[in-house]
Amino acid sequence: MTRAAASAATPARDRLAVPAWLLQHDMAMCPCGCIGKRKKGSYLAKTIQGGSKLLQQVMFGEDVAKARGLMQRVDPRVKLLSLLGLLVVAGLSHSMIMLGAMYAATLALASASALPVGFFVKRVWLFVPAFTGIVVLPAILSVVTPGDIVLTLWHWHGSPQGITQQGLVAAGRVVARVAVSISLVVLLTLTTPWIRLLAALRSLGVPRIFILIIGMAYRYIFLLLTSVTDMYQARQARTPGIVRHDRAARAFVGASVGALLGKANQLSEEVHQAMTARGFRGDVKTLEQQRLHIGDVYYVLAVVIFAAAIMIGDHILGH
Amino acid sequence: MAIERDSTELADESIIVVTGLHYYYLDRYPALNDVSVEIRRGERVALLGANGCGKSTMLKVLGGLLFPSQGTYRAFGHEVTEDSLEDVQMSAGFRSRVGLVFQNSDAQVFSPTVREEIAFGPLQLGLSREDTAGRVEDVTSMLGITDLLDRPPYQLSGGQKKKVAIASVLAMGPEVLLFDEPTAALDPRTQYWLMDLIEQLRDTGKTIVHATHDLDILYRIADRCLVFSEDHRIVAEATPEQTLADRDLLLRVNLIHEHSTLPRPPRVRVVSSEC
Repeated sequence: MTRAAASAATPARDRLAVPAWLLQHDMAMCPCGCIGKRKKGSYLAKTIQGGSKLLQQVMFGEDVAKARGLMQRVDPRVKLLSLLGLLVVAGLSHSMIMLGAMYAATLALASASALPVGFFVKRVWLFVPAFTGIVVLPAILSVVTPGDIVLTLWHWHGSPQGITQQGLVAAGRVVARVAVSISLVVLLTLTTPWIRLLAALRSLGVPRIFILIIGMAYRYIFLLLTSVTDMYQARQARTPGIVRHDRAARAFVGASVGALLGKANQLSEEVHQAMTARGFRGDVKTLEQQRLHIGDVYYVLAVVIFAAAIMIGDHILGH
Repeated sequence: MAIERDSTELADESIIVVTGLHYYYLDRYPALNDVSVEIRRGERVALLGANGCGKSTMLKVLGGLLFPSQGTYRAFGHEVTEDSLEDVQMSAGFRSRVGLVFQNSDAQVFSPTVREEIAFGPLQLGLSREDTAGRVEDVTSMLGITDLLDRPPYQLSGGQKKKVAIASVLAMGPEVLLFDEPTAALDPRTQYWLMDLIEQLRDTGKTIVHATHDLDILYRIADRCLVFSEDHRIVAEATPEQTLADRDLLLRVNLIHEHSTLPRPPRVRVVSSEC
């Protein structure tokens, strides 16, 4: 049917002049039901899916933080201060046994705080190889840490070179310290609601405006994440054919970054207006007020005794 | 320059007076064109008009968030300008008496929890933590959202966010409430809840100004309508009944289509004295 024919087919009354191609009921799928070529998703699809997963994890994290476990009962300020103390202890420890004891203690605390231990371990060890393993890898070689060769990899002027025992010990120590430190941080963040963590930071002297900005950034990142997902899904819904993913994805990223920036700018203007309308003049006041309980005192005592034991044990084992 | 409730102000019932107001975006694009409005205490006024006619801009001017390029705006007997709102007392007095509920609840609900969100306004105005906490409890139980108090905003539905946004404004105890497209994107149950609330707020003596193009709710939410044309002027002022009876006007300002069916006025039940 031609365009003219389609126009003639529509009544003269103020109906839309629908083009002929829009009236055709094309199946656009193979009538025999055969399956075409399949193509794996691009990096873009994976990134967007990762964003959605992050949202789900945060939701899960908030649920865990509200559970009635051991760590959830402790005042966030006490948790924050004891975390800082234990991070220093972990950083100063040399003994692998003591570092192992600290790690075991974090696992026990996670378990007592209604955290699934498997999930906790996975979350920590996902970061350790990525951030530490690659960095300490050269340290195990004799060119960086000379010592007793345990695995010869090459020869240099006749002397064997490779992995040294001292290098392995040093690298193992760094990895253990990082694992303990990340475990402690993950334990704190998973057992403390975000708002209470911010309030704890505030009560420990972090400037109010800084806390406000972090809080709002956290709040709106989800909104912008939803916008990105919507834009991607709208594009995906109109992409029936096989496309060269990477080039199309780059074009999409470029366009959506611009669109998102515009949206974020408009939103920030409106948020500022909403704050001004309710009396904001640059100084933020919050409702949150926290009180210490006797349980917090016991927790501090336990942490101090544990930290002292680790330091003494490390000293004894070190000699 | 503090806003005080004195006898002269109470005698003058017009609490909002806008005269010859012009507003341009980027100094070029007109949003309001020679607008003059007078709003009396306890009135419910609907600003009607098609998309982009200047309703939301008008509400933001009334809320002291945008300032006119030309013309004057007086609230409670005092001129509202960017300069006058720099005064701490004037600002606190004005902000506590005029509350704006934004169309986009996401922009208005910015705190990490609902409790902090509702407490934000009263705390900024200098109320103590105890008084603020009391207001938060009162307003959430009035609106039936006590169960949301410790929830983060991203876990709320659109209707819940709107309720939180309204609660956050009501917690400041404003005399004048400005609603931008109050029923937009709300499910029918929340729409009716909102209309009931507006009626109850009117009964408490609040002055309410809406910007809307939803004609179905007009009979319930307004006593007087100001109709904006697409060239950003006020072209008519009438009761909801008179406005909805003027089909030509509504067609001209793009509020209805020629095939649109207009809402009928609510039936008034006549109770017979005879048994």
